[in-house]
Amino acid sequence: MRRGLMRWDENELPQDVLMERIEGLRAVMSRGGLDGFIFYTNLVQPSAVTYLTGFTPYWSDGLLLVPKSGAPVFATALSKRVANWISSTNPVSEIINTAKPGEAVGRRLTAGGCARVGVLELDRLPGGLYDEIVGAAPAAELIDGSAAFASRRQRIDGAERRLIERADALAVAALAEVDPDAAADAGAVAGLVERQARLRGAEEAYIAVAPNLAADRRMIRVSGAPPLADRFALRASVAYKGSLVRRTRTFASDAAGRRAVGRADSWFEKLVSAIVAGQSIGGQIGARIDALPGATLNGWMAESSIGSYPLQTVASSRAPGRDGVSAGGFLVLTVELALDGMPWLGAAPAFVNG
Amino acid sequence: MPTQIAQQRKARLIDAMAEAGLDLLLVYGNGWQNDYLRYATDFGILEGQALALVRGDGQITLYLDSPLEADRAQIDCPGVEVIHAADLVGEVDGALGRFRNQRIGAGPQRLIPRRIAARSHDLKLSDQTALIDRLLMAKLDSEIDAIRRAARLADTGYEVFRNAARPGRADYELIAEIEAFYRANGVDDNFQIIGVGGPEVRGMAPPRGKRLKRGDLVTTELTPCVEGYYAQICRTLVVGEPNGEQLAAFALYRDAMAAGIAAVRAGITAADIARAENDVFRRHGLGDYVTDQYTRVRGHGVGLFADSKPHILEDVTTRIDAGMTLIVHPNTYHPVVGYMVLGDVVVATAHGCEVLTATPRQLFSVPA
Repeated sequence: MRRGLMRWDENELPQDVLMERIEGLRAVMSRGGLDGFIFYTNLVQPSAVTYLTGFTPYWSDGLLLVPKSGAPVFATALSKRVANWISSTNPVSEIINTAKPGEAVGRRLTAGGCARVGVLELDRLPGGLYDEIVGAAPAAELIDGSAAFASRRQRIDGAERRLIERADALAVAALAEVDPDAAADAGAVAGLVERQARLRGAEEAYIAVAPNLAADRRMIRVSGAPPLADRFALRASVAYKGSLVRRTRTFASDAAGRRAVGRADSWFEKLVSAIVAGQSIGGQIGARIDALPGATLNGWMAESSIGSYPLQTVASSRAPGRDGVSAGGFLVLTVELALDGMPWLGAAPAFVNG
Repeated sequence: MPTQIAQQRKARLIDAMAEAGLDLLLVYGNGWQNDYLRYATDFGILEGQALALVRGDGQITLYLDSPLEADRAQIDCPGVEVIHAADLVGEVDGALGRFRNQRIGAGPQRLIPRRIAARSHDLKLSDQTALIDRLLMAKLDSEIDAIRRAARLADTGYEVFRNAARPGRADYELIAEIEAFYRANGVDDNFQIIGVGGPEVRGMAPPRGKRLKRGDLVTTELTPCVEGYYAQICRTLVVGEPNGEQLAAFALYRDAMAAGIAAVRAGITAADIARAENDVFRRHGLGDYVTDQYTRVRGHGVGLFADSKPHILEDVTTRIDAGMTLIVHPNTYHPVVGYMVLGDVVVATAHGCEVLTATPRQLFSVPA
């Protein structure tokens, strides 16, 4: 669940910005001949609803209906006792607390005479909610609107960029607390990073650890006391007011390892600040790898928020066919290197230049 | 090697499938509703979504749409075939096509993705949510032992919470202290909500940045997870010395929880527990405050989900059996002092129940 600071702050996310986003969606709906657009949300798939309303559920699920005109309607199975909290974090929607959110939305579709309705990620919509919607709105045609919505999410606005930057600052500061010489074990160091992120106001913090990079570069969710090897890595996935970033850092306890990690960190920082639109990400990374002597590129992944997930893979070395990004967009770039024969992992947000 | 609990669960699931005449079970999970998936695969998913196919011969395939989670599952789930499926629904839909004409069950039905649910008739996909629910509710001894361990960490976690609570601290800072303690002490996950203030507070929610001040009631529901199993504790503290009204109100909650716990035994229903709790409020003229205007449930199951079946409500007729683990919590709004909580986790036995949490049932106070 999300259990950190969850509060809407008009200075960070002005109501006007939310209304601009909703009007932007309506322009897309108009071009597609849509009378409404439905978005599903839960704590794993919150991002489209967060983008449009500011609201992220800490638990349970719900549906947002954006009609052609009038206030959006948010129907949720969250109980009535938290209705005030929902209203305080969702300043643009009418709130309906109901055990059957799909039925509530379906009734609104019928009452509004909606014939064609877009649904984000229609195939993945929970079947129970789909049945409720069509049961209450048998005349409505539901069509997948994922591509249309993604077109709105190719560029981020200033408010979103500032929230991403804040989330990143929390992750950077939390990871900066790690002293590889003093780190007792993986659970303690994960707890340290999580504590620091949450004390600074993180909405959520997932800390993953590769305790012994030489043995296995895969990250695990740690609690308890697995030992840390001379070289280990931490990934801090930190959310702030609905925006999620990842920062991954590699740590070494020996002097030579620290020098190597430092070189890779500097190289990576330059890389993420120089990602440009219109070119393959893999190509951009590959073109710069020679600037880091002794390094071999083992893999990379680019994630962004273009649908319901806070971050989803948009391109990677596993699936290079989908490579390429747009100007004004946001990515989290993860890179895995072999450096002087040892693994190095890094991840950081990148704002795509024009 | 899979853990002993995972092996025992799997054997039980395969037996239940055989009894139900199923060749294949499709199970869905995400970071919110993970209990069905965890029962089948032992994977504690955080990001993205997952579907698992459990075959009658015990072979399990876990499909995950997050590459990071697929990496983790390969480590966490020995004995399970893990597949990273960027197009999760498409890949599983295709896999199900290969089981056409076999008897396929699915759960939880409500969350099965629409594209697959739409093929229920074609695939002869039956709703087997109740089958898995029965397994989730009636715990094995090893599952109860895990909940016992989680209950001990609920108690120590509440001590950490109390020690962190002092005037001037923000609500989210208290959560930060708890989470750091839990990560260092074997707790993977925690469900926690909080309330800070007085009569204006109508319920608990995630932290909103309120800073503690003298006289505040601080309510929390702390739900640590050990080896996938959640135990819960609910307590209320006062910043400074509690006043007479707060103490009087708390006595009512203590009596209601005691009445609810005294009712728990094999053979009764969830409604009987709720009625025992609510009757205490009704006797004090506070019957309105046990309705859904002010409270959600009077307790619920705990196990692989923090808020599992059965819900303790007067209209829920689910039979309580020995081995069920429940939190009994008469949490609700009090018109004089505000929202108050008190709850302990119990395991039902043939003739009563065993209370697993040991924190004193008192209205705590911290120095102001």
